[in-house]
This record gives sequence, structure tokens and C-alpha cells, in this order.
Amino acid sequence: MGSTVRSALIKICEFLLTALLVSFFTFVVFSIIPGDTARVMLGPNASEEQVQALREELGLDAPLATRYISWLGDAAKGDFGKSISFGQPVGELIASRLPVTLGMSLIALIFVLVISFPMAAFCSRNPGDLTDKTLSTAGHILFAIPPFALSMMLILLFSKCFHIFAAGRYTAPSANFGAYLVSLLLPSFCIALPKIAMTFKFLRASMIEYSRGDFVRTAKSHGLSDLRIMLRHIIPNSAVSSVTVISLVLSDILGGSLIVEQVFNLPGLGRLLLSAISRRDFPLLSGIVFYLAMITVLLYFLSDVISAMIDPRIRDGRAST
Amino acid sequence: MNPSANSKKYLIIGTALIAIVIAFFLIGLVWTPYGINSTDSASKFMAPCAEHIFGTDNLGRDVFSRCLAAARYTLLVSFAGVAVALALGTITGLLAGYFGGLLDKVIMVLSNSVMCFPGILLALVAVAVFGPSLYNVIWALGLVFAPTFARVYRSSTIELLGRDYILSAKVMKVNPIRIMFVHILPNLMSQILPAVIIGLANMTLFESGMSYLGLGVQPPAASYGKMLADAQSYMVTAPWLIIFPTLMLVCYILGLYFISEWVRTSMRGGSK
Repeated sequence: MGSTVRSALIKICEFLLTALLVSFFTFVVFSIIPGDTARVMLGPNASEEQVQALREELGLDAPLATRYISWLGDAAKGDFGKSISFGQPVGELIASRLPVTLGMSLIALIFVLVISFPMAAFCSRNPGDLTDKTLSTAGHILFAIPPFALSMMLILLFSKCFHIFAAGRYTAPSANFGAYLVSLLLPSFCIALPKIAMTFKFLRASMIEYSRGDFVRTAKSHGLSDLRIMLRHIIPNSAVSSVTVISLVLSDILGGSLIVEQVFNLPGLGRLLLSAISRRDFPLLSGIVFYLAMITVLLYFLSDVISAMIDPRIRDGRAST
Repeated sequence: MNPSANSKKYLIIGTALIAIVIAFFLIGLVWTPYGINSTDSASKFMAPCAEHIFGTDNLGRDVFSRCLAAARYTLLVSFAGVAVALALGTITGLLAGYFGGLLDKVIMVLSNSVMCFPGILLALVAVAVFGPSLYNVIWALGLVFAPTFARVYRSSTIELLGRDYILSAKVMKVNPIRIMFVHILPNLMSQILPAVIIGLANMTLFESGMSYLGLGVQPPAASYGKMLADAQSYMVTAPWLIIFPTLMLVCYILGLYFISEWVRTSMRGGSK
């Protein structure tokens, strides 16, 4: 029990340290902009007074360390300052775009889990047969198409073959929740497809490996049905080893949604990010970056916690990870 | 099915796919049937035909010529980006693995925090702050990919540290730098080669995504990502505008995946 508490404490410290470093990186990147930040933000046509006013508003005259501490203190309270181009608090802007990005990521994750597990379980039973080969090759190809190109291909397919033009129609969840889900379905699927291929490949290999294990042979000799062996013995083991992969997949999904949103013309964080980049709105930009990075740090932490919860070997620090 | 025959198939198909892209690159260097940015209002939106085998786009530019010319940026960014990532990852990974202790902790915590940013986000931010240009894209992507290589190097270095030849080199007071680069590095090739090939593929995925967003390779240069972005409004009426650039990207990336599959299986076979 003592080792459990100890490893939990170490994990929490690592989590906090990483979060702090990530915040520091975010801050530093926006502080080492070549030239005068205020001048860069306002463009070459701004007057000297405007630049000076912005410098004061952003507190650019204070030393770096002071600025970092006050920025971190504000960020912890959810206050990322005010967006230059929108004139709104950055926190509010991000919150207004979250339903799209988070909704899409969540639906994509569900797609990944619901499709890759059964597919891998099915293929691992007879590795090397025709179904397995077809699905594995299809997985390779899906993995090789950039998500945004895949989205275009799917839009093309849907509009040419089924005469449904799915892009560019977004309904807010507060207006009509059903329509909101439907509008996110195809984009989520496009983000999910390459990740399904990746998760499938990993799971298939791990399931084949486990199905050769001694415990599976014992279970077979006890007369357990194949289905029961798969559900009770192979899948739980693979699930433990797949937690880390899935947390990586989730961070990729978040990144991928930033681009795929553009293809489907959805008002998510990706669009906000791009407009922040093109208008050189650094408070907004750093807010988005900080927010997304924190979500990822949290995801990795949660994946550690979940692995520890479902696998006693990791919980007691016995596994050599 | 004989596994070695199967992995041979991967090698053959992979090499063939890469060869197509390299052929495009080489031809594009010396010759394109039309100028890559020469517009022709008389021949807009022409479907693939004898004169324009990949068709023409909304400005009457020849898609085939642009596909030929864009290959060089795909290859350049992926190879240069991987070179940057590899250089950074090799040095930090070897140092962390060889010396261990505090240096190792610091390097690992740093690389972990870089990995906490969704990769594309970090690259986009770097380009946003320092301005979109080919070189910024290359070093930004190199920085994003460096931790992956550093991890591979670190864990494999630690595995090698206990070997007799490393121990005897240490006993003979060989310079640590020499041990790292002369004794350890050549023995890590089998671990690092698949990572490099996959890195090339992932680099291309990222670069095309950034070019699609307009933050990667900048016009007037042609790039597959930008071509796709330009084609987006017309894709239903002129699908060839998205099909050919996508095919080029898939050729390259899939070819790399197949070759990495071959490297992986043949090296596993060799170690048995």
C-alpha cells in the first residue's frame, strides 16, 4: 500500500511539474518574438502612441519573470487577458468555440474505440487470413492519407454518390442538439479513420500476442468458449496496454480537429487559432495554445491514473514501464 | 504465408511508390510541360485529357506541372525536418542515456513537455510567431519531432551501457564523447532506422496540413497541401483537382510506411 501512495505522489508531482513547464514554454515562445511585440502585433502602420499604449496594456515594460508570474496567476483563474482583434476576453472566446472542438474529439474517440476493438478482436483470431489482410492493408492506406485530404475525399464521395452535402452546416448545441451531433458526425469520422487504423494495428498485435499466452491455453483447456476467452482474458489485457496509445491518439485527434474544422467550415478552436495567427493576436493565441496543451497534459495524467486503476501491477509500481 | 516473402512484398510495393514520387521530383527539376504558375483563361477547369493529363485548375494552371514541381518541397521538408529532429534527438538522447542522473531527468522532463503540445499546434505557433517560410516550417517541425528520436536513443543507449565492450571502453578511459558516437551510435541503427522512416512520413503529413492552412510552403511555390486548399471550393465540379495531389501524398507516405514495415520485420527476423 505504501508503494501505491508513493507512486501516486510521484505521478502527481510529475504532472504538476509538466503543467508548469508547459505554461512556461507557452509564455516564453510569445516573449521571444523577434523585435518589439507590440509593434509586431500592430503592424508597420501603427503610430508610436498606439504601440506605447499596447505595451502598457500588455505590461511589456515589466521584467520577464514578473510578467510570467502575473500571467500564470491570471491563467490559473481562467483569465487569459483580452483578445486584441475580437475585443473580448480570451476565456470567453475559447469557451464559445469549445462545443465544436471538444464535441468532435469526443465523437471521434468513440468511433475509434467502438470500431477498432471489435475489428482487432476479429482479425486477431485468424491472423494472416483474407479478412485480416484486407483490413490491415486498408488500415495502412487510411493511415497514409492526410486527414484533411481524407475529409475532402469523403465529402466528394458523399456529395457525388449519395447527394448529401455535409460540409458547412453547423448547428449550435443549444439550438438543436440532434442537428449539432449530426453536423459533427462526418468530420469526427474523418479525424477518427486514420486513428482507427493506428489503434487497430496496435491492438491486433497485442491481442495476437496475448492469445498465445499461457493463461489463454489454460482457459482453453478448462473448456471456456472462444468468445469468453476473448472478452474476459484477452481484451482486458490489451485494454491495459492500449491506454497509453489511446491517450496519444486523443492528443492527435485534438490536433487533427484543428485542421479538419477548416475543411468542414466549422467554427471551432482551429478557426479561432487561424484568425489569431493571421491577425497576430498574441494574447488569444497564447490562450488557445495554453488551453490545448493543458488538456493534453491532463489526458496523459489521466491515462496514467486509468492504467494504474485497471492494472494492479502498475498501481504497485511492480511493472517496469 | 512465409513472413519473409510477405515483407519482401512490402519492400517492392514501397520502393515502387517512392520511386514514383522521386521520378516526379527529378522530372520536375528539369522539365514541366507548362509553367507552374502560368495561367490560361481559355483552359480553366479542364478535365484530364491528352494535353493536360491531370487536368487544369480554376486559373487554367496545369495540375500535372504543379504536381511535378511540388514534389521537391515534400521531399525537402521531410528530409530536412527529419535531419534537424535527428540531430537534436541524437545529441540529447545519447547524453541523457549515457550520463543518466540529473541531466537525464532534465532532458526527459523537457522533451515530455514538448510532447504535451499537440504536434501540429506547436509547429503552427512557431510559424505564426516567426513568420511562415520554408525554413521556419523545417526547424519548427524538426523541434516537434526531436523528442521522439531522443526517447528512442535514450532507451537504447541505456540498454547498451551494460555491454562488455562499453564497459571495457570506459575502463580504458575512452573519452565519453567518443564512446557515445563511435561505440554506441552505430549500434543503434536498427532502432533508429524505422523511427526515421516513420518520421519522414509523419513530417509529410504535418507539412501538407500546414501548407493546407496556408502556413507551410508559401506561394508562388506549389505544394500539395496548398493545391488542395485552393481546390476545395471547386472539388465537387472538378474532383481531379483534389484527387491527384492527394494521390501524390499517399504514394509517398504509404511507400514510406511499407518500407518501414519491411525494415521492422526483416530486423526482427535478423535478431532471432
